[in-house]
Amino acid sequence: MSLKRDGRLGAAWIIILFVLPFIAAVIALGIGRMSISPGEVFDVLRSALSGKHASSELIEKTVMQLRLPRIILAALVGAGLSVSGCAFQSLFANPLATPDTLGVASGAAFGAALGILLGFNLIGIQILGLCMGGAAVALTWLAGSGRDRGGLSYIVLSGIMIGSLFSALISFIKFAADEESQLPAITYWLMGGLDKANYRTLSLGAPVIIAGVLIFILIRWRMNLLPLSDDEAKASGVNIRLLRGVTVVAATAVTASCVSMCGQVGWVGLLIPHMCRMLFGNNHLSIVPASVSFGAVFMIIVDTMARSISAAEIPVSILTAMIGAPFFIVLMRRSGGWRI
Amino acid sequence: MSEVIRNDARSGAALLRIENGSFAYKNGPQILKDINIEVSPGEILAVLGPNGAGKTTLLRCMMDMLHWQSGRSLLGGEDIRSIPASKLWRRMAYVPQARSAAVSYTAFQTVLLGRSSRIGAFSAPSDEDMKVAEQVMERLGISHLADKPCYAISGGELQMVLIARAMAAEPEILVLDEPESNLDFKNQLIVLDAMTALAAEGVACIFNTHYPAHALQRAGKALMLSKDGRSIFGDTTSVVTEENIRHAFGVEAMIGEVETPHNIMKNVVAVSITEEGNGSAGRAAEEKLPVSQNGGLILASITVIMRSNERAGLINSAFREYNHLLIGRMGLPHRRSEKYIISVMLEGPAADIEALSHRLSLIPDISVKTTYE
Repeated sequence: MSLKRDGRLGAAWIIILFVLPFIAAVIALGIGRMSISPGEVFDVLRSALSGKHASSELIEKTVMQLRLPRIILAALVGAGLSVSGCAFQSLFANPLATPDTLGVASGAAFGAALGILLGFNLIGIQILGLCMGGAAVALTWLAGSGRDRGGLSYIVLSGIMIGSLFSALISFIKFAADEESQLPAITYWLMGGLDKANYRTLSLGAPVIIAGVLIFILIRWRMNLLPLSDDEAKASGVNIRLLRGVTVVAATAVTASCVSMCGQVGWVGLLIPHMCRMLFGNNHLSIVPASVSFGAVFMIIVDTMARSISAAEIPVSILTAMIGAPFFIVLMRRSGGWRI
Repeated sequence: MSEVIRNDARSGAALLRIENGSFAYKNGPQILKDINIEVSPGEILAVLGPNGAGKTTLLRCMMDMLHWQSGRSLLGGEDIRSIPASKLWRRMAYVPQARSAAVSYTAFQTVLLGRSSRIGAFSAPSDEDMKVAEQVMERLGISHLADKPCYAISGGELQMVLIARAMAAEPEILVLDEPESNLDFKNQLIVLDAMTALAAEGVACIFNTHYPAHALQRAGKALMLSKDGRSIFGDTTSVVTEENIRHAFGVEAMIGEVETPHNIMKNVVAVSITEEGNGSAGRAAEEKLPVSQNGGLILASITVIMRSNERAGLINSAFREYNHLLIGRMGLPHRRSEKYIISVMLEGPAADIEALSHRLSLIPDISVKTTYE
């Protein structure tokens, strides 16, 4: 169960990374207010695949209509946020660069909130989120880079500035929103939750996330050039502008799509890539697939907790922060610093 | 404003040339004026100059990372700007200063990155790429570092890894930005020896350095920049002189020779700061950097001992170029130890004999000494 010399994953790891999300999904399908055994879950899935109806209509409806879309959404959002976190870290050669710290998530959230305020449908909300997320990352880049790409603080500081700028804009939207209907919707959505998942939402948001994740998986070896200094990158003979452009567009689109479907879910984009970097080193051949897999598993677990710990649903971002912050401090202290 | 010293006896096909290269940063003074250089396969060119004279700028312009204001760089006769990046960077490779390099990967993975221009956007390194990377590391004697992360190795080792990364592209030209800076004595030697060995195998090397002695000991050609934009290019022995150092660096320096059991090595000692100050900016701009002058004809003999015949080709081509000086030659293979002794008698201008002697002293793994009349 080891890495190859060039950073490729061994066969054992590939199988683990591939199977783990499915195991997590099957277990999560059985957990909830109505407990369903894995056997019954398989039964339902098998009959659904063959187009027949399962023995119990109630179980079938719970699994197929309530839990499955939500678990698929959780897996996509987890995979998407962690792989774009990984990409942003490498792009800015900065271990603290994530959708959250770069202000991308705030920008996308602002766009999405604006979309809700204006009464857009989900596609409109996504596009607006994508535009504002892109604007945020562009502003952060303009404000914080140029001088010293090695300096960690510039990018993160300017990301915090841009993030708070967009947070202020979100507050302004809340202020302007209708107190009866829009304000609660925006507020609740901002806290992050996957409870509104259904196949229609998925069909709109999933393609962007899947496409983004696929792009990163395809170019994963070439992503190793991202953290290089400008001259080194140019001397690689690769079109580095194109590579950076594709990376920033794909990572921003994935983030915006996640945010517009389930609000701001923090920490995933920071926590999971670092966990993978500590396990596998920094080679993208291994950390891109690992981030996708572990991100999906992490979100499935956290979302299952969010909907089953108490009678009332807990917003998922509260849980990711409560799990993420201490876990991250432990990781950080044990590894003795981080490098990209 | 530049002075090009040409040795007409030598006419190798230039692999890389800069023609009238000039550069200034926006709203800044003219840093580089009318630079003309040429480097042939297997040659080492040292770029010297005080801080701020534009050594790194020159390398970056040469590689088209910055654009010449006027003038151009030619690779094999073709303007570098018209060569697509993926092709250019298979022929030329760049070794950045170790402190500005990214260090997140293991040494082996870093070396593999040197293959980037040969690996498709959606592919990972092939078995052949891995083999090349392994061979390059072995050739440079750093195989034992392969699985260590680059942030956990020493500065000298990192510099060697960066050279290996550049060599993994299988280039014809290696451009090194102050490769021996910030290194201790031993690591300086390791890096310079690696460069010398690569040149002996036919790779052209261009390196920036703060040490005039390294230029004299390693480079056949030198380019000396001074702060006012003037430059002088030619054979190292005629460029790196006490007088030129005084003008370019504002330092009174003495060039001496240290005799080792194998060689006579040139060394440069900085003695004092001259009163005219750095770069002699106050002096007339038309004044050319002085050039060492030859005297009358003298007699000399050069004795070479080869520890293997690996370098025979380099030695013979050096003698061939200076054939007009030779008045006698004797080669003696010592069969029992498989070593070779070559002795040549020469007559010619002192400067030419010195140039040949210097040329031979740059060849690795041999002993050379010259006796003058």
